[in-house]
Amino acid sequence: MFKLSLPNRLALHVANLAVIAVILLPLAAVIIGSIQSEKSLQADTRRLLPPEVTGDNFLVILTQGEQRGRIFDQATYLPDNIKKFYRAFANSLIVAVSVTFLTLLFGALSAYTIARLRYRWTLFLLQANIVSRFVPAIVLMIPLYIVMRSLGQLNSLSGVILAETGFLLPYAILILAPYFDAIPSELEEAARIDGCSRLRAFVHIVLPLATPALAACGVIMFIVSWHELLIPLILNARPEFMTLPVVIASLVGDVFVFFNLMMAICLLALLPTVVLVALLQKYIVEGLAAGAVKG
Amino acid sequence: MNLPTLVFLGAVLAYPVIYAGYLSVHKVGLAQLRRGEFPFSGWENYGRVLEDPLFWMAMKNTLLFTAITVISEIVLAVAIALLINQTSIWTSRVTRFLILLPYAIPPICNGLIWSFLYSFQLGFLNRILFSLGLIHDPVNWAGNPDTALYAVTVPYIWRTLPFAIILVHAALQGIPRELYEQAAIDGANAWHRFRQITLPMLQQIIAVILILRTAFAFAVFEEILAITQGGPGDATWVAAWYSYKITFSPPNNFGMGAASAFILALMIAAIALVYLRAVYRRVQL
Repeated sequence: MFKLSLPNRLALHVANLAVIAVILLPLAAVIIGSIQSEKSLQADTRRLLPPEVTGDNFLVILTQGEQRGRIFDQATYLPDNIKKFYRAFANSLIVAVSVTFLTLLFGALSAYTIARLRYRWTLFLLQANIVSRFVPAIVLMIPLYIVMRSLGQLNSLSGVILAETGFLLPYAILILAPYFDAIPSELEEAARIDGCSRLRAFVHIVLPLATPALAACGVIMFIVSWHELLIPLILNARPEFMTLPVVIASLVGDVFVFFNLMMAICLLALLPTVVLVALLQKYIVEGLAAGAVKG
Repeated sequence: MNLPTLVFLGAVLAYPVIYAGYLSVHKVGLAQLRRGEFPFSGWENYGRVLEDPLFWMAMKNTLLFTAITVISEIVLAVAIALLINQTSIWTSRVTRFLILLPYAIPPICNGLIWSFLYSFQLGFLNRILFSLGLIHDPVNWAGNPDTALYAVTVPYIWRTLPFAIILVHAALQGIPRELYEQAAIDGANAWHRFRQITLPMLQQIIAVILILRTAFAFAVFEEILAITQGGPGDATWVAAWYSYKITFSPPNNFGMGAASAFILALMIAAIALVYLRAVYRRVQL
């Protein structure tokens, strides 16, 4: 916009490099931590890069303890939850995909009515959603635990999916509503004059036009659900129903688990959403902005 | 068409909140849970929570944590959004490409990664500082009661900052270029242009970030669990951690947990109402 002088350009480059370094610092830590043994971590506590690189941390996680490689050869103890890695990964995937599907389905219907029908009750519905978005998970978890316990729904994936869907639905509606509002209504009106019901017009005309909105909202829902810890932590205590964040949280208090193994499992858990963010950055940026301020 | 949404809002949000209110005025421990009867206890749970010095410690920490993270995030978000807006600088384009990365990291992983960074003996941060020759003895970042709370704010800011940057950056695109050009003709320097044009035009989005981030920072949980578990001592107990520990670790006082969570919810509800009035007031949507 304005011509920048050379010293200004240099200062901006330096500022950028500093920001980039801070963004990448934890990534460097997780990668470097995951490719070494606890011996090399302990041997020299001042050394930045390990003297030798090993893939054994990943080997032991990905074979669920079957193959231990060199660094876990002598280990007498491996946390049980590590041995359920694929189960946990699959659980996380089932929960995230289901929650994404359900929030998109119900969220789209509600967001559409909020955007199109200007009645007192749709405004109230919008306001209810805005307030709901602020409800902290911990307030829901204590009663939900007691309810799910009495219903016998503790330790099931469906309980987690239902709870997360309810928890995230208001956010999905807030993201989607401004997009629907921006789609011109003439097309549907024409279709409805031709005898199309409102639901048919919605499915055949509005939804195809709203593909970018559904992509933006869907990817955000998937990411938030993949990251969710508190809900599955409280509702599921049995290893066969744990999601990946719960498995990782269970390693926190375990004094026999060293950083190398923790960093390896963290790296495996963060890869799916990092790939999503890298590929769908544009949609996420739009969706985050849409969900925070009215369109 | 709204039936599924209403059912979900009712079953998973409204009902539990009301039920939490119900639990908070009843005696609910493991024994009561097994029997399925919760005797009414009036304000006793609230009384016990409010008499608990640990609760006040948690409240004080939550307020301090929130103040530090929210203020830092707003300052950093404006600065970094302006930085990545410099499209003629190639490093700005790199930063812009990477800016969303922390959003992709699961909070619990973020907490563990920083607990590795901060580790006194094995930590990556100390290793870097040794390599650069900046320290001679290892620093106990998260294990020192005086610095622990500040130490946990950094990972939280790192993870949640992209959201704020994106909002500010989006708002910057909405400022008409003519305003800047006119100001430059009038002889305004960069600082004046920022103070007189940019900052006023960002006012609304800053209010949005302030409210949203305050509400969410109030309920911080994962980073505390992964890095300090409330320690050392009780230096990093925060509100959500208090409710979680009171409820789900022995002696499992669900009633007190619900009461403390309800207090947290009321504080956040007050923030939500401000948001509703300030941001969605002229709602056409």
